[in-house]
Amino acid sequence: MSAEAADPVGLTCRIAEKHARETDLAATFPDQALDAMRRTGLLGLMVPAEFGGGNGTLADLADTTVRLGRADMSVAMIFAMHCQQVVALSRYGCDKLRSQVLPGVAEGRVYLASVTTESGKGGHLLTSQSPVENIDGVLQICREAPIVTGGMHADGFLITMQTPGATSPAQVDLVYAARDQLRVEPRGDWQPLGMRATQSLPLRLTGSVPDWHIIGEPGDFRSIATQVFAPLAHIGWAAAWLGTAAGACSRVVQHLRSASGRSHVSPASELLLARLAAARARLDVVHALLRHTIRVVESQDDLSGPPAQLLINTLKTQAAEDCFAAVNELVELTGLRHGYLAQSPLRLERAFRDLRSASLNYANDRLRLANGSLSLMDSDVCLA
Amino acid sequence: MNGEFVTLLRPYLKYAGDQEITGDARLRDLGLDSMRAIELLFAVEDTFGVVIPDEKLTDATFETARSLWSVIEELRAPARTGQA
Repeated sequence: MSAEAADPVGLTCRIAEKHARETDLAATFPDQALDAMRRTGLLGLMVPAEFGGGNGTLADLADTTVRLGRADMSVAMIFAMHCQQVVALSRYGCDKLRSQVLPGVAEGRVYLASVTTESGKGGHLLTSQSPVENIDGVLQICREAPIVTGGMHADGFLITMQTPGATSPAQVDLVYAARDQLRVEPRGDWQPLGMRATQSLPLRLTGSVPDWHIIGEPGDFRSIATQVFAPLAHIGWAAAWLGTAAGACSRVVQHLRSASGRSHVSPASELLLARLAAARARLDVVHALLRHTIRVVESQDDLSGPPAQLLINTLKTQAAEDCFAAVNELVELTGLRHGYLAQSPLRLERAFRDLRSASLNYANDRLRLANGSLSLMDSDVCLA
Repeated sequence: MNGEFVTLLRPYLKYAGDQEITGDARLRDLGLDSMRAIELLFAVEDTFGVVIPDEKLTDATFETARSLWSVIEELRAPARTGQA
């Protein structure tokens, strides 16, 4: 067995790590890491076995994403969001669409991107102001999206649009379009603080697809969002953030244990020990929450009730805060030279910038508003 | 569905406009989000003198005007029997 086949994640991590500095500096897509994910079959992890995929579980998704996050958070986010699209298509796509798209994903030929952002809707996932016309069974797509992770590199897209003939922006469909069915035009630049290698450009997508490319019941994207999109996004993101923070913590500990590290900082320093313990505790708490949320999502058929919704949202808000806070603590612990400088081998500076995005990537503030309402609907406080 | 219920519903459905609200009206499609759902819940409880138990606070209850009304009716039924 080749090394690639034995450990596709390890190989992808090594390649991602090798190129992470240049893709971060230039804010360009990690082509080499995506190529490794294609070659090793990693892109097919969540594709059902009947289509030649890895038949992965949510735990597999989380394990893989955590490992990728240790190497490069952008690569981990790209992978996790691709898997979210794969699971939505696998569970809700019609047989024809599944058999047309999923074998290509399993073979590594099809990388899927998500198009849910829209300007003017304040990040609302469940509404769309982009109408789509159905002319004789063909959907006419014209969609502007301000942030599309990996959009210029994707081979297929899952796009939220208003359902044909919609009477309100809350009637939303998820539509699949292959790259060759669309004209994809960049509409601006991507120069963010962190997660720079996700190259999440603003795009305009125009084209047409047959109406059986609608995923799920027409107008009922809400069900997909509740059962798949939100849980997988939150699990995937939390895993990417946890991996990033765990990788940073690991590099710090290795540094503290090295001869050169010990010559600068005494491992007996109580301040150091207390700070290290605080950072580590945050990681263990996020990890426990991640594993518990996965168990709940896997064991409940209906995730629409307030207790499950609250837990799924809390995983996102808590992981975003704690992973960033852990790295912030590590920066404080290691000081200016090792914690703050971009050229430090501990790479805390990049982890810090990358993780600063976590609370904004589907805003914590928005989720807290939703969770406040959900809490009022659960007066018995049934803990999921 | 009685007229009072339909009148009560309308302000929570921002996309309903002037259209008639029938039993099949899908509340989420008409703009009921989780924030509005809790306000609607309080209004329903105050107006009809019922307390909707937590286990009924699901997507299914808030799916259509009729599904919400039937939960209210169910909760009002024992009281009416008592008065008879």
